Amino acid sequence: MKKVLLWMGIGAGALLLIAFIALSVMAGSPRDAVYMVRYALPHMHRGNLKVGDAAPDAKLFALNGSDTFHVCERTSGKPLVLVFGSFT
Amino acid sequence: MQIFDDYKERADFLTIYVREAHPTDEWQMKSNVKEDVCYAQPRNLSDRLAIANDFTKRYHYPLPFGVDGMNNAANDAYAAWPERLYIIDESGKIAYRGGMGPFHYDPAEVRSWLASRYGEVKHPEAKPAQGDTPKSQNPPTAAPASKS
Repeated sequence: MKKVLLWMGIGAGALLLIAFIALSVMAGSPRDAVYMVRYALPHMHRGNLKVGDAAPDAKLFALNGSDTFHVCERTSGKPLVLVFGSFT
Repeated sequence: MQIFDDYKERADFLTIYVREAHPTDEWQMKSNVKEDVCYAQPRNLSDRLAIANDFTKRYHYPLPFGVDGMNNAANDAYAAWPERLYIIDESGKIAYRGGMGPFHYDPAEVRSWLASRYGEVKHPEAKPAQGDTPKSQNPPTAAPASKS
């Protein structure tokens, strides 16, 4: 029984190591892998929207900070391409 | 940017600026330092607006622009972070849903959708399959680009 547990532990450790190496390769370095898990993965979501769903609305701020508008105000007559992103 | 130039008469475009992907106080990339794009994660709207303004000014960004509020409503509604593309049709429905950035952020799919509806715009002198918009760290070509 003790031997089985030992080998299970070794197996789990090996899997974790392989996963970490794979993540490091994907992210660029071990540091990036750690930061990806800590800072990126909690914010990354596939979401539930599907093609054909009603587009959600949201209030947005103009660059001057004082004017606001809604996404739905921009959907009329033409398709609307939404480009989400940030500077960094 | 090229997609915008090619189809701006046929489609509307809106860039939505969401929370930073690689701020200095989270997962900063070496490329951020190299490109001198070093900002902490904004904690209030004025900080977020300041970065958005820096971005548009630095790259003379021509697309219509909106900034997500600090409640991240747009981000949450569209599962947008760190970068993502959608097309909403004239009836207000999702016509195209891009994959999660950066790995599945593919402006070429947006171009294909627009081309299938309005016809292809050819650029003989341009390199093919550039996608026009950045997958990462190439803001001038379209999106506020998260440098993942």
